Amino acid sequence: MTNNYVGKRVKRTEDPRLIRGLAHYVDDVALPGTLHVSFVRSIYAHARITNVDTSAALAAPGVVAVYTGHDVAKIGAVPCASALPDLKVPDHRVLASDKVYFVGHPIAAVVATDRYAARDAVDLVMVDYEELPVVTDVEQAAAGGPVIHESFGDNIAYKLTTGEGDIDAAFAAADRTVKQRILHNRLAPIAMEPRGVLARYFPGEEELTMWSSTQIPHLMRTQVALMIGIPENKLRVITPEVGGGFGSKLNVYAEEALLGWISMQLGKPVKWIETRRENMLATIHGRGQVGDIEVAFKNDGTLTGLRYSVFADLGAYHQLLTPAIPTLTGLMLSGAYKIPAIQMNITGCFTNKMATDAYRGAGRPEATYVVERALDLVAAELGADPAEVRRKNFPAPSEFPFHTATGLDYDSGDYEAALNKAQEIAGYAQLREEQKQGRQEGRLMGIGVSTYVEICALGPSQAMPAGGWESATVRIEPTGKVTVLTGASPHGQGQETSFAQIAADELGVDINDITVIHGDTGVVQYGIGTFGSRATAVGGTAVFVAIQKLKEKAQKIAAHMLKADASRVSFEGGKYSLEAAAAASAATGTSEPVVPVGEAPAGALPEPQTEGKSSLTIQDIALAAHLAKELPPDTEPGLSATYFFEPKNFTFPFGTHIAVVEIDHETGDIKFLRYVAVDDCGRVINPMLVDGQVHGGIVQSIGQAMYEEVVYDEQGQLVTGTLMDYAVPRAKHIPNFELDRTETPSPVNPLGVKGVGEAGTIGATPAIVGAIVDALAPFGVRHLDMPIKPENVWRIINHG
Amino acid sequence: MKLDGTHQLEAARERVYQCLVDPEVLQRCIPGCERLEKTAENTFAATIRTGVGSIKGVFNGTARLEDLREPEHLRIVVDGKGTPGFLKGSGDLDLEQAENGTKITYAGDVQVGGTIASVGQRMIQGTAKMMATQFFTSLGAEAATQVGEPPPQHGFFRTALRWFSGWLKNIFRKQ
Amino acid sequence: MIPAQFDYQAPATLEEAVSLLASDPDGAKILAGGHSLIPAMKLRLAQPQLLIDIGRIKSLAYIREEGDQILIGATTTHYQLESSDLLKRICPLLPECAKSIGDVQVRNKGTIGGSIAHSDPAGDWPAAVLALGADLVLVGPHGERTVKAEEFFVDLLTTALEPGEILREIRIKKPSGRFGHAYQKVPHPASGFAVVGIAVHLELNDDNSCKAAAIGVTGVSVKAYRAKGVENALAGTSLDTDAIAAAEKHVCDGVDPNSDLYASSDYRCQLARVYTRRALQAAKANVQ
Repeated sequence: MTNNYVGKRVKRTEDPRLIRGLAHYVDDVALPGTLHVSFVRSIYAHARITNVDTSAALAAPGVVAVYTGHDVAKIGAVPCASALPDLKVPDHRVLASDKVYFVGHPIAAVVATDRYAARDAVDLVMVDYEELPVVTDVEQAAAGGPVIHESFGDNIAYKLTTGEGDIDAAFAAADRTVKQRILHNRLAPIAMEPRGVLARYFPGEEELTMWSSTQIPHLMRTQVALMIGIPENKLRVITPEVGGGFGSKLNVYAEEALLGWISMQLGKPVKWIETRRENMLATIHGRGQVGDIEVAFKNDGTLTGLRYSVFADLGAYHQLLTPAIPTLTGLMLSGAYKIPAIQMNITGCFTNKMATDAYRGAGRPEATYVVERALDLVAAELGADPAEVRRKNFPAPSEFPFHTATGLDYDSGDYEAALNKAQEIAGYAQLREEQKQGRQEGRLMGIGVSTYVEICALGPSQAMPAGGWESATVRIEPTGKVTVLTGASPHGQGQETSFAQIAADELGVDINDITVIHGDTGVVQYGIGTFGSRATAVGGTAVFVAIQKLKEKAQKIAAHMLKADASRVSFEGGKYSLEAAAAASAATGTSEPVVPVGEAPAGALPEPQTEGKSSLTIQDIALAAHLAKELPPDTEPGLSATYFFEPKNFTFPFGTHIAVVEIDHETGDIKFLRYVAVDDCGRVINPMLVDGQVHGGIVQSIGQAMYEEVVYDEQGQLVTGTLMDYAVPRAKHIPNFELDRTETPSPVNPLGVKGVGEAGTIGATPAIVGAIVDALAPFGVRHLDMPIKPENVWRIINHG
Repeated sequence: MKLDGTHQLEAARERVYQCLVDPEVLQRCIPGCERLEKTAENTFAATIRTGVGSIKGVFNGTARLEDLREPEHLRIVVDGKGTPGFLKGSGDLDLEQAENGTKITYAGDVQVGGTIASVGQRMIQGTAKMMATQFFTSLGAEAATQVGEPPPQHGFFRTALRWFSGWLKNIFRKQ
Repeated sequence: MIPAQFDYQAPATLEEAVSLLASDPDGAKILAGGHSLIPAMKLRLAQPQLLIDIGRIKSLAYIREEGDQILIGATTTHYQLESSDLLKRICPLLPECAKSIGDVQVRNKGTIGGSIAHSDPAGDWPAAVLALGADLVLVGPHGERTVKAEEFFVDLLTTALEPGEILREIRIKKPSGRFGHAYQKVPHPASGFAVVGIAVHLELNDDNSCKAAAIGVTGVSVKAYRAKGVENALAGTSLDTDAIAAAEKHVCDGVDPNSDLYASSDYRCQLARVYTRRALQAAKANVQ
């Protein structure tokens, strides 16, 4: 390995087109004759549809068709890929026909010659509703509120108990226990680009092409093909540029199947671009749990048991992974600690709201948050420093692989190293001193520490609903250009750059000779997609291994061309060479011409000039392999290799985040003084990409901790329906981040990579909340629910 | 959303009550009411084109008068649906004889849905209060006329509002 | 954005705009910078039949001195006000208020006249023009009239503009003597609108006592208002900590404070008190 690029801050090759506005998103793909779709959506959270009158809409200018739930009954249900014991799965049709279950539930699709006509006609579709009682609170839903799916008899989708160890004994034997009710606010993922679909059916070829803003083009192809009854190999899904997903596009949505089906009905291209309001109403939300965390511990701070009993607000229906998300919380309840007994009791409930599903972190932020909050409570109970309580319970580096009572085996880690480094950067002891003095002067300063572990690189296929591997094809074209096809479908993370770094180093070629192609099922072999911080650890590894396969073949060809035994040919700096043989042949000048002499026919490729050479570049070999005139016997022409990498385990990145805040007495305003993050995501391919991921994650954590909350009123109306009301943090809300890293390679993949896409949303939230709670400790505060707004803080200061 | 308050009208309680149950008067007092047709006893079909500033919407629905106890109490129940969403509400009105007229105490519940619910959070309460003020101000003017007299002129509302805001200022100066 | 259908006219003169507006005073809307109207149209909460774009009438955007007055054209953008050297020198409240509005894009397009005419309960300009005792020049089919800022803001999104009238100019008496300005605001984290915004125009006597204070408050009520209770309490005082503390208590007198998801009416009043104090202190510190 020459290692020119890996580990360096290589600028993202994606960025020039993105920042110059030259990238193509779904809405930028323009096909002649495209029809536009707009949806009639429920304005009630729970109602029976007594009539849908489409006549006025159909008569409106430009309207081509209006489809209601009854018209599309043949389209299969929106899929749920989660397999849990006794899971209740509602029949989730692409359009509601008898009942609506949440505000935003699609009822009819209007197709018109332009998007204005389509939208105008939406207002002409007359829907008669008969209102039904609404349940929006998850605990009320569990306790027997109005039943949403009548055939189930109640709103409980599933109950699940997980964990290992004797939990009752642990609590019985503990010196002390603490218990806290904790709320995880429902969040809207707010990808910068909302969802969008363009579908084009060619009736002659019976081929359907769909452009969709998705994280999972292949899984979407399989699912949509099944839903609308087209052979999977007649459906091609293309993801052009995808303007962010954060998990919200790790899904198969009703609109996607509908658009494909409508295009097949009408034989025309049809397009739908989600509005921001639809995005708030009808794209999945994240988080949405409320539960009790209980910890058992000894007087010296040693943890002995942890129990988390939680109600998960699933929303009205299951989307792809809805019921599975809370189970990921259960997996990570051991945090970075040795806890002999752990139990999680999940009650997943239906409510009259949009479904929850994967949002950056997807169940793991909830776990880290409750565990870290619990550790703070333990520290408060013992009057100990929260960092020390954490340190006491870390497994030592020598204890890895470390088995948790949640059934996982953490791959590698040195948690104390990250904590030490973060404390050193922050000047932790000095901060505590400053805090102590400040308190005497009446300053409300708080320090929050979070030592997190996350589960990434999802994951072994055994643990995944639709395959946990990832694929890569690496091909060297006749001109020497390298094409990397990845089944991962990055959408902003920068793998076009990082995969090129890997390939450039492994092949010894210039990074500019490499193109990474993704997100087109017509071009790329089947892949799983980008989510769960998996693209580099699983997809990058697939690229790496595919290159090794390719190089094995290249080596054989090189040996043949150099007329030497393969074992004597070495590869370095992009060249195959055989010093001794080369020197000999140069001296005698007896090499045969590698190609017959003669006039090249028009259009012929340049012949590789190997005569008299003692070394050959891999690009020379690629051309020779393509021309296939001088290959070893039984060698396939061409130079490409495909590999499907199946990881044996997840990876477990970790780190320490330290937040320092100060609170304004009079207004409750919260100001960041410092933010330090030391993350360990294994081996780093591109530190700039890692920093970018950490930045974005912390920002979203700040959002969850202080600003963001999807609010439905008691009648199930979405009150935070625009970005004027739903507060996504802006640059001015964000402190300067002091970032650093430790690097503990993962033994799970040959790159040693762990993944970092979600670290920020997992590690940061507890540090921020911890800091705010710490600042308010003089008022006896031990916990506050998110989002912690200035008014909440002001009330505590002024009213106790 | 809860909505309550009191309004002082310079008219006799009986007269105010009469106005409140007279569909023609109601149509003139409900801000933007374009149509109020009796469909059954104390039940009306209504079209209301209303709004505030540039925000406007048309609602079609029903209004019903209930629990009529002349001259002291009645209940108004409205239910409308329109392009910006829906609007539902009910309110109890209690009329008391006061020193120089009638004091109306109202307590109600208003629910909105659809676009207006999800984007207008910070203004809904203000809008509801403003509509209530418009309604009672107009009602006061109607009730100040005698039966058989021509109703007060349209467009008077703005003047009334200015008067109302001037009145607030006066109150304020007193403090 | 996919609004309902509308017609669009870009008149070359204000007279033309007035006559266009007269053709349909209910269905037509004046478009200036579009930062209040367009969001409402996007959601179809506003569906005007006709947009009369006065943003292209170049002669409507100006900032100039005339006698003892500052004249500001209605379509002057927030950015033009923010960056005006003249205003920074003679009426710093205006640039200070301007720079607190929205973000760069909003300030480049949004106009002072649009903001005032829309009268958003959390808009910034109403507070500033109230504190400065501005006169607003309205033009309609029957000619021009001038309305004092205090009488202009009538109720939620409701102003003294009659159907058919257009706000043409904002006139402010040049501050003179020893004065200090400040605008202090708690921006809503999502919208950037003022949860509370306090504009202060403070005049001092030679002995540093308060000659007069004019305080415009936005965000607190259904419309911006003058905090007369605070002003009265300050008059003649030395503006020391006690005097300000006693005065700030009156900022919500006589209003029914707004309550929303971000701030209850109690908290809003608390913010108004604290920001009144901070704005007064800043204004005092700014006195030349």
